[in-house]
Amino acid sequence: MSSHREAPEMSKDPVADSTDVYAFISPDKPDTVTIIANYIPLQAPDGGPNFYEFGDDVSYEIHIANHRQARPDITYRFDFTTKIRNPDTFLYNTGQINDIGDTAWNRPQYYSVTRIENGTEHVIARALRVPPVNVGKRSTPNYAHLSTQAVHKVGSRTFFAGQRADAFHVDLGSVFDLGGLRPFNSLHAIPLANMNGINSLKSYNVHTIAMQVPVSDLTRNHDHPSNVMGARSVIGVWTTAGRRASRMFDKSAGKFVGHGPYNQVSRLGNPLFNEVLVPMAEKDMWNARAPRGDSAFAKYVDHPELAKLLPVLYPTAFPHLKDYKKARADLNAILLTGIPSGVVPGFQNYTGPVASDMLRLNVAVPPTKNPNNIGLIAGDPAGFPNGRRLNDDVVTIELRAIAGATIPLVDPSYTPDGAASQVTDGTTNNNAKVTGSFPYLGLPGGGYQTVPGTTSAS
Amino acid sequence: MSETNRRNFLAATGIGAVAGTVAVVAGPAEAVTRRSKESAQEPVVAYVEDHGSDALRLMVGQREVVVHDRELVTRLLNAAGRN
Repeated sequence: MSSHREAPEMSKDPVADSTDVYAFISPDKPDTVTIIANYIPLQAPDGGPNFYEFGDDVSYEIHIANHRQARPDITYRFDFTTKIRNPDTFLYNTGQINDIGDTAWNRPQYYSVTRIENGTEHVIARALRVPPVNVGKRSTPNYAHLSTQAVHKVGSRTFFAGQRADAFHVDLGSVFDLGGLRPFNSLHAIPLANMNGINSLKSYNVHTIAMQVPVSDLTRNHDHPSNVMGARSVIGVWTTAGRRASRMFDKSAGKFVGHGPYNQVSRLGNPLFNEVLVPMAEKDMWNARAPRGDSAFAKYVDHPELAKLLPVLYPTAFPHLKDYKKARADLNAILLTGIPSGVVPGFQNYTGPVASDMLRLNVAVPPTKNPNNIGLIAGDPAGFPNGRRLNDDVVTIELRAIAGATIPLVDPSYTPDGAASQVTDGTTNNNAKVTGSFPYLGLPGGGYQTVPGTTSAS
Repeated sequence: MSETNRRNFLAATGIGAVAGTVAVVAGPAEAVTRRSKESAQEPVVAYVEDHGSDALRLMVGQREVVVHDRELVTRLLNAAGRN
C-alpha cells in the first residue's frame, strides 16, 4: 500500500515499483505544482552493504494529461547512471561523506531529465547528482546538508531524486490479516480486542523523484487558470516505470544487459486503485497498460470486492452497504473520470468521459492554510481526491468512500451506515515529519540510528 | 523482409542474437551472404513468441523490429531444436 508491492510480478522488482504519487499546489510557492513519485518500497535504513538506489536499467516517468483524453500530453523522464569509483573495495563508502561530490562515496548516482511534449523530446538537465543513502552517523554525519545539495534548480523548475522517509501510513499487518481494522476488532467476524492501528511504514524509507514546476508548465494553455469550474484547470497525473523488452544476464560481465524498447511495468495514479480494486490475476496487466484503457477495469470500480467484503467481515456494521446493489457511480467519478461540476458545490476535477485512473488536480484551487487530512470529503478542496498531499490520509478517505460515505453525492436516496463515516485503519501519521519546503518529505532514517522491532509468532 | 535482408539478419544472429551453441547454418545458395550497410551494429535478441506464427521479434538497441518471415522462423526453430 498504497501501491507498495501491490502486484505479484511487481513485488519481485522493487526498483521499478511505484509506491506513491503525490501532486499538489506547493503551499510555499502557490504558483507551482509539486509532483512526487516514490519507488522502491519498504527500505530498511540499515540494508547494507548494497544500499538502495534507482535502477540504471529502469525508465522512470511522470505523465501529465491536460487535453481531457487521458493521454500523456507532457512527460518527464528520469534516466539514472551509477558509477563505481573504486572497484577494489566492497564498501559503499570508504570514509565520511560530507559533500555530495565526496570521493569517499563509492557509488555516486546521476540522472538526466527529459521533457516530452507533443512527441518532441528535450533533455533539460544532465548529470544531476543523487545524494547517498543515509548510512549512519559515521558515514553521513550531516545528511540534511547532502539532501540540500541534491535539490537542483534548472531554470524555473526544481528537481530532487534520492532517498527519503516514506510519508504513507497504513496498518499493513492488520489490513492484510483478513481485513482487520484494529479500532473495530471487536466487530470483526473473528473478534479481537480493539486497539489503535500500527503504522507499518513508520521506520522505512523510499526513493523519491520530485519536481516542482510552474503551474503553467503543465496546463493546456501554459497559463495558471483561476476558474475552479473551468475545464482547463484540471490536469491528470500518473507515474510509470519501464524496463527493457529483453533482459539477459551477461555471465562474463556479471550483470544484466537490456535490449529493445522500454516497456511499462509499473503504473500509479490514485492510491490503492490497483492494490484494492483490481483482482490479483490482472494487477500486472493493469500495470503495463495506459490509463485511457481503464474502461476494462471499470467493473471493479462499479462493484468493488472490498465493498462486498466489509459487511461479511463486520456483520453488524454495514447493513445498508450490504443491500446496495447499484453500480458505484461515486467511485467511478472519484477514480475514473474526476468529479464533474454539480456534485460538490464550487468544485470539479473532471477530465472528460475517458475512464482512466489518474490523480486529478484542479490547479485553480489554492492551498489550504489549515489542511484537513481527510481532504475533499471533509470540506478541504485542496486535498485528495483533488490531487494528493503528503499528509492526506488516503487509507481512511478511500475506506470511507468504499464503505458508502460518498454514495449520497450521486445517489441521494442512499443513507450511509453509521460506520461509513467512522471507519479507519486507526493509524496516524507518525512518519518522519514532512518539511515546509521542497522536496517536503522527511529526511530518510539512518542505518546506524535504526533499531529493529521484535516480531511475535503468536 | 527481403531475401537480402533476411540473409543479413542470419549473419547478424550468429554474432549476438541466438543463445546456445548451434549455428544457423546457411544452405549452399546462401554461402555468400554479406551484411549490408544497414545491418545492426550491436547485439540483437530474436524472439519467436509463437512457434506456429511467422512473426519474429528483434530487439536491437532501444527498438523492436517485428518481421514476418515463415522461412526465417522455421530455420530458427530448426536450429533451436537441434540443441
